[in-house]
Amino acid sequence: MSSPFSINGGACVAMVGKDCVAIACDLRLGLQALTVSNNFPKIFQYGDNVFLGLTGLATDVNTVSDLFRWKVNMYRLREERQIAPRTFANLVSSSLYEKRFGPYFVSPVVAGLDPKTGRPFICGFDSIGCIDFAKDFIVSGTASEQLFGMCESLWEPDLDADALFETISQSLLNAVDRDALSGWGAHVYIIEKDKVTKRLLKGRQD
Amino acid sequence: MSMFSQNPLMNGPNYSFSETPRVGAPEGAREHRFDPYTDNGGSTLAIAGADFTIMAGDTRLTSGYSINSRFHRKVFKIGGTTTDQHDAHLVLSVVGFAADGEALMERVDAMCKMYRYRHGRPISVKACAQRLSTILYNKRFFPYYAYAILGGLDEEGKGAVYSYDPVGSYEREQCRAGGAAASLIMPFLDNQVNFKNQFIPGSGEGHALQERERRPLTRQEVEVLVKDAFDGAVERHIEVGDGLQMMVITNKGIEEIILPLKRD
Amino acid sequence: MDTLVARYSRPAYQQENQFDDIEEYDYAADSVSGPSLKFAMPPVAHPSSWLRAATDDRSNPHCPIKIAHGTTTLAFRFQGGIIVATDSRATAGNWIASQTVKKVIEINSDLLGTMAGGAADCQYWLAWLGMQCRLHELRHKRRISVAAASKILANLVYQYKGMGLSMGTMCAGVTKEEGPALYYIDSDGTRLAGNLFCVGSGQTFAYGVLDAEYRYDLTVEEALELGSRSILAATHRDAYSGGFINLYHVKESGWEKHGFTDTNPVFWKTKLEKAEFSNVTSDFSEEV
Repeated sequence: MSSPFSINGGACVAMVGKDCVAIACDLRLGLQALTVSNNFPKIFQYGDNVFLGLTGLATDVNTVSDLFRWKVNMYRLREERQIAPRTFANLVSSSLYEKRFGPYFVSPVVAGLDPKTGRPFICGFDSIGCIDFAKDFIVSGTASEQLFGMCESLWEPDLDADALFETISQSLLNAVDRDALSGWGAHVYIIEKDKVTKRLLKGRQD
Repeated sequence: MSMFSQNPLMNGPNYSFSETPRVGAPEGAREHRFDPYTDNGGSTLAIAGADFTIMAGDTRLTSGYSINSRFHRKVFKIGGTTTDQHDAHLVLSVVGFAADGEALMERVDAMCKMYRYRHGRPISVKACAQRLSTILYNKRFFPYYAYAILGGLDEEGKGAVYSYDPVGSYEREQCRAGGAAASLIMPFLDNQVNFKNQFIPGSGEGHALQERERRPLTRQEVEVLVKDAFDGAVERHIEVGDGLQMMVITNKGIEEIILPLKRD
Repeated sequence: MDTLVARYSRPAYQQENQFDDIEEYDYAADSVSGPSLKFAMPPVAHPSSWLRAATDDRSNPHCPIKIAHGTTTLAFRFQGGIIVATDSRATAGNWIASQTVKKVIEINSDLLGTMAGGAADCQYWLAWLGMQCRLHELRHKRRISVAAASKILANLVYQYKGMGLSMGTMCAGVTKEEGPALYYIDSDGTRLAGNLFCVGSGQTFAYGVLDAEYRYDLTVEEALELGSRSILAATHRDAYSGGFINLYHVKESGWEKHGFTDTNPVFWKTKLEKAEFSNVTSDFSEEV
C-alpha cells in the first residue's frame, strides 16, 4: 500500500492519432487517503512538440521535471535547435538508468510529433529507463489497469484531432473514477503539426 | 475510540484481530503452513437489461503463469430440476479459486432444489440472492475464495444482477465485472452501460451541459459490449483468454453462446 | 473389535458421522434460512491469525481475499429526531469496487444501522439484529428500545472479539421512552450513547463540518442540509469516500428516506452557488 509509486496517486495517458498525438493527466496530489491538492499537473512541455508526463512520487515528479528542463535547455544551447521527441526519449532513458540502484519513483510518458516528418511519437518507461515504444497508447500511474481497459476498448487507429480528444478524455475520466488515488480534474493536450491545444476537464471531485 | 489507534492515515474501523502470540506448537509436533487457496485467474461480467440479463466469463483456467485448461466454465445455470439444468432460470458466475467456486455453485444449486421441493415453485432471484449471501457469510472465518455474481429476472421480469464479495456482502446492480480483469472492464462498463462522463453535445455551455440520460440497452448492444470488453481484457491480462462463455437469460429460458477469444 | 468392523462394514449410505470433522452439506440447515451463528472454521490451531493472513489487506497487502471497506458515515441527534447520512463508496486497496453501496441498513421500519468496515459483517449482523428485534417484539408485545437493540449487537460482537470481525456501526431510532436515541458500536465491543458520531476513513472531515455547524435546535431542513454537507466535505478530501449521499431522517413514526444523491452535481452546485470549495477551479476555458 505504501509503495512510493502509490503514496501521492495520479494517472497519465498518451495516445496516437492521425498526424496528431494527445497526452492527458489527472490533477490530484494526495498523501494516501488525504487529498492535499487538486491542482498538481503531471505533464510538462520541453519544446514546441515535446511533452513529458510523470506519475509516481510527487517529490520525484518535481525533481525529474526540473532536471529535464535543465538538460533540455543545455541541449538547445549546445545544438541551437529544439530537441526531437525520440532524442528526448533516449535522454529520459539514459538519465533514469544513471540512477539504476536508487531510482526516481516515477513512470514517465513521452508524447510528441517528429519535427522533420511530423509523424506521431509516443513511448513509456519503467522507473529505471526501459523504453516501451508503442504504436497506439501508453498509460501510467495508479489507474494504469483501468486506463489499459479503457484505451484498449475505445482507441482505434487514425483518429482525427477532435475524435482523439474525445477518446483520450473519456478514457482518462472513466479510468480515474474507478481509482481512489487519481482524479479531481484533468489536463488534456492535443498536439498537431503547428498547433497545441490544452484543455481542462471537469472531473468528479470525490 | 480504540479503533482510531492503529493506522493514522486510514483510520476506519480496524479489524478486531487479537494480537495472537506465535504460540509454539507442542514439543515434537510441527504445524505446516495452511495454504488452501490458489488464484485461478479469469474474469466474469454481468449486465442487466430491461427484460434480459447477460452473464459472461472467459474459459481459461490458470495457476501462476501456467494455463491449466483452455475450456473451463465459470458461468453456471442453477436452480433447474435436473442435473442438465434445461429448465434453470438463474445463472451464477464464480471467479477466484475454481474449487471454492464450484463448491459454492453446487451448494447454491442444491439449495435451489431444496427450495423447489419444499415450496413447490422455483426460487426467486431475490430470495436466492439473500440466501447466497448467508451461505457465503457462514464461512466468514474460512471464506470461499470466490467472487460470485448471480443473474436472473426479477418478479417484474426485469433483468437482475447481484454481485458479492467473498464473505457475502451483496448489492443489486445494473452491471458488474469480477475477477482478474475487473479493473480493466469495470470503467468501460461505467462508461458504456451507465453512460458515466457522457454529456449531450450542445445542451448547454460549461457547467450547464446536461448529462446523457441512462436508457436500457438492447440485447444486441449488450452482446457487442461484452465481446468488446473481453477482447480488450484479453490483450492486456495474461490470465484472461481462450473462450468467451455467455449466458443470455430471457423469459424464454437461458441461451448459452460460446465465442472464441485470443489464445496467446 | 467386532463393533468396529461392523461399523465400517455397512454400506456407505448408512454410515453416520464418518466425516464429522469435515464440513458436510447440511440440508437441515437450509430450512432455517435466516442468519445463524454456525460458522465453518479453518482446520488450524489459530483461526484468527490464519484469517488475518488471508483477508486483512492492511497487515498483509498481498492477501488473496480482499474485503471491501472505506467509508464516511455520520449520525446526529437534534430536536426533530436523528439524521443519518453516509457516502456510498466501497474500496479494496486503491480500487473502487463500487460507488453505489447502501451503507444505511434498514434494520426494521423504526431502526437504522450504518455500515463502516467490513461490508458483509455489517450487512449480516444488522440483518441478524433485525431478526432479534422482531423476536423481542413477539415475546414482549412491544417495540424494542434502541438501547436494548444496540446492546444485543454489542454483546454479539464482543463474543467474537479477536476473531477478525470489522465493523463500526451506529444504531439510530426514536422511541416514546427514550426520545431520539443514538448508539455507536464497533467490533472491539465499544458501545457508546451520544449526540453525534462520524465513523470511517473520512470521519475527521465530516466532524470538521458537523462540529462547526451543529446545534441541538436545528430545524429539520437545516439538519438534513448539514448532514449532506458534512458527507460532501468528506467525499471531497477522503480518497476512500465518494459516490452518492445517502440521507435519512429518523422520527418517532419511523425513518424517512431523503434521497440517494450523486455527489458530483451537489458538489458543483455548492461550489458555484455558495462560493464554497474555492480550492477547486471552475474555469474551464480553453488554453493554448
